[in-house]
Amino acid sequence: MSSSKTPSPLGQLQSQSQSQSSPAPELEYSSLAGSLDEVTNNDGLVKPQWQYLLSSLRNLGPKVLAEREQKARRILRDDGAIYNIHGKDGNASSSWELDPVPHIIGSEDWGQIEAGLLERSELFNLILRDLYGERALLRHGALPPEALFSHGGFVRACHNVQIPGEHELIMYGVDMVRMRDGKMCVLSDRSQAPSGAGYALENRTVMSRVFPSLYRDSHVHRLANFYQRLRLKLISLSPNSEEAPLIALLTPGSRNETYFEHAYLANYLGFPLVQSGDLVVRNGFLWMKSLDGLKRVDVILRYVDDAFCDPVELRSNSQLGVPGLLEVVRSGRLIVANPLGSGVLENPILLKYLPQISKHLLGREPRLASVKTYWCGDDQDLAFITANIRQLIIKPAYRGSGVKSVWGGDLNEQQLNQLLATINKNRYQYVAQEQLEKPCIPAFSAGKLEPRTALLRTFSIATENSYTVLPGGLTRIGSSAPGSLINMQAGSPSKDTWVTATEPERTTELEAAPESSAAHIESALVSLPSRVVENLYWMGRYAERAEVSLRYLRTVFLQLNGEYPVGPVARRILLETATQITATTPGFVGAPASLLANPDDELLLIIKDGGRIGSIKSTLNSMLASADESKALLSNDTIRVINDLRDALEQMDIDLAEGLTSAPDEALDPLVTALAALSGLMQESMIRNVGWRFMELGKRIERALQTINTIRCLITPVTVGADKSTLLTALLRSMEVLITYRQRGRERRGIDLGLELVMLDIDNPRSLIFQLDRLQQHLLQLPKSDMRQGELQEEERALLEAMTSLKLSRLSQLLESKTDSRDELNNLLQQLEKLLKEFNRLISDKHFDHRSDTPQLVTSFWGEQ
Amino acid sequence: MRFKVKHITHYRYAQRVTRCYNLANVIPRNTDRQQCVNSNVSLSPLPATKRRRVDYFGNQAFHFEIQRPHTELTITAESDIVIHDNDHEGSLDLGESYGEVLEYLSTTPNENTITAREFLLNSPMIKVDDDLASYARSSFDLKRSLKACVSELTARIFNDFSYDPEFTTIATPLADVLEHKKGVCQDFAHLQIACLRAMGIPAKYVSGYIETLPKPGEKKLVGADATHAWIAYFSPGEGWVEFDPTNNTAANSQHIVTAFGRDFFDVTPVKGVIFGGGKSPVLSVSVDVSRVIEE
Repeated sequence: MSSSKTPSPLGQLQSQSQSQSSPAPELEYSSLAGSLDEVTNNDGLVKPQWQYLLSSLRNLGPKVLAEREQKARRILRDDGAIYNIHGKDGNASSSWELDPVPHIIGSEDWGQIEAGLLERSELFNLILRDLYGERALLRHGALPPEALFSHGGFVRACHNVQIPGEHELIMYGVDMVRMRDGKMCVLSDRSQAPSGAGYALENRTVMSRVFPSLYRDSHVHRLANFYQRLRLKLISLSPNSEEAPLIALLTPGSRNETYFEHAYLANYLGFPLVQSGDLVVRNGFLWMKSLDGLKRVDVILRYVDDAFCDPVELRSNSQLGVPGLLEVVRSGRLIVANPLGSGVLENPILLKYLPQISKHLLGREPRLASVKTYWCGDDQDLAFITANIRQLIIKPAYRGSGVKSVWGGDLNEQQLNQLLATINKNRYQYVAQEQLEKPCIPAFSAGKLEPRTALLRTFSIATENSYTVLPGGLTRIGSSAPGSLINMQAGSPSKDTWVTATEPERTTELEAAPESSAAHIESALVSLPSRVVENLYWMGRYAERAEVSLRYLRTVFLQLNGEYPVGPVARRILLETATQITATTPGFVGAPASLLANPDDELLLIIKDGGRIGSIKSTLNSMLASADESKALLSNDTIRVINDLRDALEQMDIDLAEGLTSAPDEALDPLVTALAALSGLMQESMIRNVGWRFMELGKRIERALQTINTIRCLITPVTVGADKSTLLTALLRSMEVLITYRQRGRERRGIDLGLELVMLDIDNPRSLIFQLDRLQQHLLQLPKSDMRQGELQEEERALLEAMTSLKLSRLSQLLESKTDSRDELNNLLQQLEKLLKEFNRLISDKHFDHRSDTPQLVTSFWGEQ
Repeated sequence: MRFKVKHITHYRYAQRVTRCYNLANVIPRNTDRQQCVNSNVSLSPLPATKRRRVDYFGNQAFHFEIQRPHTELTITAESDIVIHDNDHEGSLDLGESYGEVLEYLSTTPNENTITAREFLLNSPMIKVDDDLASYARSSFDLKRSLKACVSELTARIFNDFSYDPEFTTIATPLADVLEHKKGVCQDFAHLQIACLRAMGIPAKYVSGYIETLPKPGEKKLVGADATHAWIAYFSPGEGWVEFDPTNNTAANSQHIVTAFGRDFFDVTPVKGVIFGGGKSPVLSVSVDVSRVIEE
């Protein structure tokens, strides 16, 4: 570091920063008296590694820091960073909280942590291999057999199933805190699908954007290298050396609490994100269902817990796994990382025996300390626990047991006795741990720097001969003053962790490797799970449905509140059409005159009643859900627009809370605008790949069907005079051609021209013929499994027939009426609707996976002598 | 003694099954007193893949995957078994005392005892409780031969409980079996295992077949034999010793072992996932054990 940047002691810089202009309010950090603090040393002085950060923050001042925090929040929101918290309604989500003050760890200090974690990774790798193989640890008395045999994470079906090569444990995570002596102490190990590595990367991306110069000048160790190595490691695991391997990231689904991370990492690593239904075991291999058929999968990076991965051999009621998966792994045709059964390492009993285990496997005790752990299965420990239960945390040995940890000090006499009785009945299932004092670090809260307790989760991954540790990690802090629990589920904020070097880090070659980009996504498209594409299709349909409904409702408001009074006939038709377009029958259909006279309440429900299928809100929620499922394919801009939609939806709720206002159409404007922006992005910013085609197909089919619907409702009934003109205006206005009509109307006027515009005008992007024309174009570009040259496919036939019928129709005939309705028009519209629905069905059947068969379990009874 | 065993499991489904993934435990394993010299599993319809392996407990696991639509599934397992005559009756009351066995288990951590200790723990379908322990206790005396204790327990279960296939299902908890003193072989095996574990003696579940002999003068019916279940407990001197509480006997040359496990859960004859099939598949099992007269 150059001398000019040498961090100054706290006091000196203060005066310099205040030398000009009026004094800004300052950001000072002072540790809490008597509490453990990472920033200050025993004499109360700020440790060198924190000095530069604290002085920089002081220079920024609380106002700027608050602005930066806002900016960070915006970026996180735009990236769609959320942590789904299991709310009571099962549907709540919460934005990812990032504190703008990074957690600083000096380079030398980190060196110790890194060495300790490397060693621990090696050690846990050896333990894993031993427990599912030789079990020398049991034979040599390093671990009591009950510690293994009674643990819920020990999966007997995985015995002797091993990954070729040195590493069983591919990705590993630990939670640790700093102790009074400055060393780190491990609280728990994560060995199935350690979560947080994706959030850590997102935190870093945001921090480096929000504090570009502070970040640059702090010489922070980069993270990208770690993820590139993970990618290379997974590729190298492929058992299939002949072709480029297909590696997929398996997620439990979009309702999982860390789904954001799964989608984020899949995108960053360039692997398809798959769920249970995207995969199938066939002929002894694992396959992904993609648009152009089944693709063989070689490696799975899984974020589904052990027990849920295969209902045949593991937890039989799991909907998150793939039947037959374990047997494919056993046969060596698929590698799952981390391997199934690796949850056996998430066993706190191991912590008690770790020194002797380590001596046995590595010939020495581990460098990195673990929290002092007592096991109720040990007689001496049980006696100690019984005597000291008020000072201990009682934890289940198996996380999957659903039992919560409790702090003995929180329990009354009766509860303690109850707990002791439970423990004594299931001694092997419980451990007790000391409550470690967690150190504080500064966090930004209400314009001030406050001490908050901190916990660090960091990660390692297997690389060639050893492990690589993420230089940094996910720091989590208490959500309020010290003493509060740190728990993601309770909404604890996170921090970026900066390992700061004294000099800039050299950029390694690995880091220069291409990162996730549009090109990446493009190349992966051939192997997209068909579910993702189907969701894009539905996203297109729902977005269009919402837009058409909104435009129509806006038209209704304008007409009803317009200058000219609307007669009862037109009024009924206008309102019934609103019900028809949103498919919210009965609604206004056949409604009594009283409802038609006071339609506001029903109109309001059509807009904002999320529980009613077809309402604007329900349609938009469906659209947002489809967007979540296909998130990995959406550009950042698209995600931003989708977030805008979410906000507009919330705003609409607020605006309409008091009922319909004087200008209700205005409350709908932000939504229409956001939907138009989405549609614009689809046209301008999406690569014309198969995903885009399906989104477009969805949109065009929906628009065609809705156009048919609107014309039929408004124009097939024969009306006269003012009614006729009201309904024609409504049609033209809702389809955005009123102005064109007026311009052309210099020569012609009337329904004749109106119908031509919305049905037969190929230049009008909302006309029926325009939709059919686009559908024909997209159809030509879809992947084809059937290479027949001459004969038309069924879906081509349906479309061609629709197009031909439309083109051959004569306006004069369509408008003829012998009764009070235009039968010719009605017949044509019905025929077109039927053909379009047929077309839609054929496309869905061909390209999407519809699991008509639901899986069920079989077992048989034994022993009926 | 030589046997031929034919074990047919048949499913009939209300609707078409498009594909299925199964794991079957229908091939007899080798044990100290038995050898499976030949075995074959045939499937109808033909599977896309099938594979045999030895599982965690040393049993023969048979995996198969069927990818063609079917409404019936037949699994036919045929095996040739040689059983060494092992008449324990004469050696009753010999061997270590119960007290000595407990002492040995807790102080001698060798390969055998370490493996055996797994069978002291609660397992998916067997949770030891105070009622089960107190039922067992009267048969156990520290100074008495362990085998005598287990033999007495076997006899008590045989006498105290009545065989009633109507009373229990696969899911009936042990507490109900103990309270009503009714059940089938599987319940009695689970019950005795729970009692033994409560007394500190490692115990396994044994699935298999028992040869039934026709009444004098009658001809044996094909398919009349049955799948059966009994237990094995660990004795440092003799290894795993099998007792059959349903028939109040030590396992003899008519007991053919299929598999060992902690309880039924580990040795379920057929389990898996099917796609389609409709409601309530109809299962029928037929077993034929026939003696092969040696020349």
